[in-house]
Amino acid sequence: MSAVLAATDHIGGNLGSIAYGLAAIGPGIGVGIIFGQGVQAMARQPEMVNVIRQNMLLGFALTEALALIGFVVPFVHK
Amino acid sequence: MVRPAMSEEERTPGPESDPDSEHRSFANAAWSVPSHTLSGMAVYGGIGWLLDRWLGTSALFPIGILVGLALALYLVYLRYGR
Amino acid sequence: MSAPHLLAQSGDEFEAPGLHIFEWGPLFPGGPSWLDWLTKPVLIVALAGLLLVVFAWRAFGNAQLVPRGVQNVGEVAYLFVRDQVARPMIGKDGDRWMGFLFTTFFFVLFMNLAGVVPVLQLPVPSHIAFPIVLAAFVYVLMIFLSIKNQGFVGYFKNMMFPPGLPKPLYVILAPIEFLSNIILRPFTHSVRLFANMFAGHLLLAFFSTVAWWFLVEKLTPLGAGVGVVGFLMTIVMTGFEIFVQSLQAFIFVLLAASYIGGALHPEH
Repeated sequence: MSAVLAATDHIGGNLGSIAYGLAAIGPGIGVGIIFGQGVQAMARQPEMVNVIRQNMLLGFALTEALALIGFVVPFVHK
Repeated sequence: MVRPAMSEEERTPGPESDPDSEHRSFANAAWSVPSHTLSGMAVYGGIGWLLDRWLGTSALFPIGILVGLALALYLVYLRYGR
Repeated sequence: MSAPHLLAQSGDEFEAPGLHIFEWGPLFPGGPSWLDWLTKPVLIVALAGLLLVVFAWRAFGNAQLVPRGVQNVGEVAYLFVRDQVARPMIGKDGDRWMGFLFTTFFFVLFMNLAGVVPVLQLPVPSHIAFPIVLAAFVYVLMIFLSIKNQGFVGYFKNMMFPPGLPKPLYVILAPIEFLSNIILRPFTHSVRLFANMFAGHLLLAFFSTVAWWFLVEKLTPLGAGVGVVGFLMTIVMTGFEIFVQSLQAFIFVLLAASYIGGALHPEH
């Protein structure tokens, strides 16, 4: 524990990059779930492919927006 | 030049043009979603930033980014989601 | 950076590789000044191009009816690019573009794979200049084909004003479409390749530096475990990098084909 505390004295570099790394975790998991489940749904019900594709795309757009919010926060909050 | 290996496939054209074009438009849409969201944020965030500089405020830049994000998502919905 | 620094327990610190591993001076520092342009990335690009020429020559230069040797590999590669990239993305006339797509795919693939070849060990697209030239080429081709196929006014009308929307929305949404299609497209196209190669090379350099530092330079009982982990991660990450490099070459050429296809067959 003391080693971790001591380490904080020596962290250098840009904290914004660490923050974006953390912010990218959630959208990464989300995009993976969306496309994984979407492909699974297409395989199970090939006759529903068009509906599944549309909803996959919308879910992907919404999730991707989170990652891009994380991308622009350092520009806003300087 | 490499005809020999393909000749047997060449004989069966197959009526697969229709699902192919659907797949193509889906792939185009999926690849262009990040670019659309990013450009929406850039356009309206940029307008907000310019207004901030003009009026001396500081709140319009983040508001512009969020508005641009919402408009870009709406555009994606209009173009591909309906 | 902090944890290795704590475990080093000696005078000089462990230094993680940074941006300086991408800066290459002239290949022959003491050489004549007219040779200064010859850096390591330039050499690797030349080698990749040469390898591609030799590969294509051996495979297709003297094609037999019954393929033998390199021609087998070449035909499998050709069929892969044609069936996975050209026909799904461009459509029936995709075969006309196979020369461009095949060459681009293998050129990018050879440049990427130089990142794990023992002596070279630098994926050239980790310098953004190289992917951006390829992306600019595809971009100019896309604009040219679009204007040729749809006309100048028709192209911008198709792109910025998709039919079926209420009129006031066009004023709000047309700038987004314009920026996304005209300005950001070559940028995202090249950055996808660049960022993956850059991050992958940095990752490999970091783990191998950890292994070298803790197992060879400063061997301490506490640090040896870190060194072993670094060594194993170097091996695992090398395999992963080969996968990522092939995938990124594929995605680059897939997007190029998709842009060409979009220029030839506009959406309605």
